[in-house]
Amino acid sequence: MKSAINSGFKALTVSVLLMSVFGLAARAEVKELRMIEAGGPSGESVEKGYIEPFTAKTGIKVTRESPAGLGKLRAMVEAKNLTADVVELSSGELEQAKALDLVEKLDWDAIKPDPIFGEAKLDDGLGWQYYSTILAWRADAKPISTWEELWDVEKFPGKRALPDYPTYILPMALIADGVKPADLYPLDLDRAFAKLDKIKDHVAVWWQAGAQPPQLLKDNEVQYAVSWSGRVVDAENIDFTYNQGQLDLTYFAVPKGIAADRKAAVMQLMHEITVAKNQAVAAGVVAYTGPSEGLDALLPKDKLDTYPTVAKNKNVQFLMDPKWWYDHADEVEQRWQEFKLGL
Amino acid sequence: MAGRISSGLPMHVMADLAPTIPRARRGLTAPAGLPQVAPAAVFILLLFNVPLLLMLSWSIDPGDNPFKYYAALAQGSVYMKVLGNTIYIALLTTFACCMLGYPLAYWMWSLRARSQILVLALVVLTFWISILVRTYSWIVILGNDGIVNRSLRSLGVTETSVAFLYNQFGVIVGTTNVLLPFLVLPLFAAMLKLDRRLLQAAESMGASQARIFFRIFLPLTFPALAAGSILVFILTLGFFITPAILGGGRVPMIANMLDLLINRMPRWENAAAISTVLLVLTLLFYAAYQWVEKKSRI
Repeated sequence: MKSAINSGFKALTVSVLLMSVFGLAARAEVKELRMIEAGGPSGESVEKGYIEPFTAKTGIKVTRESPAGLGKLRAMVEAKNLTADVVELSSGELEQAKALDLVEKLDWDAIKPDPIFGEAKLDDGLGWQYYSTILAWRADAKPISTWEELWDVEKFPGKRALPDYPTYILPMALIADGVKPADLYPLDLDRAFAKLDKIKDHVAVWWQAGAQPPQLLKDNEVQYAVSWSGRVVDAENIDFTYNQGQLDLTYFAVPKGIAADRKAAVMQLMHEITVAKNQAVAAGVVAYTGPSEGLDALLPKDKLDTYPTVAKNKNVQFLMDPKWWYDHADEVEQRWQEFKLGL
Repeated sequence: MAGRISSGLPMHVMADLAPTIPRARRGLTAPAGLPQVAPAAVFILLLFNVPLLLMLSWSIDPGDNPFKYYAALAQGSVYMKVLGNTIYIALLTTFACCMLGYPLAYWMWSLRARSQILVLALVVLTFWISILVRTYSWIVILGNDGIVNRSLRSLGVTETSVAFLYNQFGVIVGTTNVLLPFLVLPLFAAMLKLDRRLLQAAESMGASQARIFFRIFLPLTFPALAAGSILVFILTLGFFITPAILGGGRVPMIANMLDLLINRMPRWENAAAISTVLLVLTLLFYAAYQWVEKKSRI
């Protein structure tokens, strides 16, 4: 019964779609690509660093839309109505997208990448931007440098703002509890939540949007925050440290079922993303870095300390394990919500 | 909804001015104007109702246990807690709106016509300001370094900042601020309709002001208060921005949980089940609202 209703609905939806002019328009040569990305300063860096040189070379325009998210990708692939040709996914989301069969294999021969780090060159994703989750604080608060100190509200009094994302805070809780970054995975969830229980009364805000931590610090709503690096390294009156930060990579992927000519155009755009010169332009817009091995040499010397991947910063950070997070997504999310409800 | 708000008068108040059709003739013939309305109805059906039903159909599993997502909902303590929390906040918001809204409407009613228009304009004005702006302005007012906390500190009332925000109180301040007009406007309209001669008659019989209020004014305006309360309650159930900003992620409501299930972890089947439950709840409350409002017209 249900399937009959469903196919009836599907037929109806398809006919509605067919009525739309776009469905009937003959496929001309690709004049425009549509991209879904995270927005904010990160989106501007895509525009300046990669889209502008790509459009200059090929004449193809790229229209950006934000925010990104797995939900949007799943919606368009399942409806077989692709509203974007290239989408941004976090490393954990890419794992989920692979499992749900929502992304195409990339054609690395067509991309012809310049030399880039291995973790950026996946079968179905191009790692394009490194970002870190780090400690930040108001310049008038007592400086801190470790997760242990963030948890120490006696010595470092003040309100905290922590991410409302288990992926960005559970590893920190374990490190604060004495786990070495190298021994994090598999995560000991019980221990991590027990540690979070100790600090929860001092957390004013569990933030969801990257713009929140710098704003909350500025407004003196909180004195210490865990923030995405690009949002705080250039902010006034906010200090930060990369020490014990979590380094992560965000990816561009192609929705399943894309037309061949559009995919070919996306591959050309992806080539531009692997060019170190372009990455340096993007890094000038927001302090996140691309995957080129030779990028450091092109970055402005006076701001070198603010980038997540320069040797000095990369060596004091740890990477996340997207596979583990994918395997335990449901369990973690359930426990996370229960923890939040107990606040 | 929008029509009801823009004029500031409920539909039935407007309808009172129109000549009524004799009851006997209605219901026997097809409603007049059906052919004219048909295109719009089909449009709504195709572009709104069909996608909605499609989405809700995800909550039913094609396998041998079609209601497994509903079962998961009933067993998942998290979902039930969030639903309970949402209803609790909606009740508190409704209470706060009544406590503030009734005196405000009563005061408006007691003003002269010209002042009435001015105050009415102030109330309606809030509809033209983005909910986001209104929500954020509470941070400026109630934040750690907000106007209220700075005043309290400088007056020596408190040593440290009082935490008005990022808790249940902050969320209820936000929801009440947004929803107050939804209660005040229908209530004010109902008060305007009230026959003032009833009050004069009571006064001439020697009743005290308090007695007039409690024996005549309040009973006659109570149905409108009840209808407005249900409306506020229904609207609070769907709030998203306010708990996200003023709750500091510590006051979970249904809409925020749906955002998580849809955008952050693709578990749409669970989200569809929750949405269905929320829709049914809302329709039940809406039916109650219609019933109470009909009563209030008698």
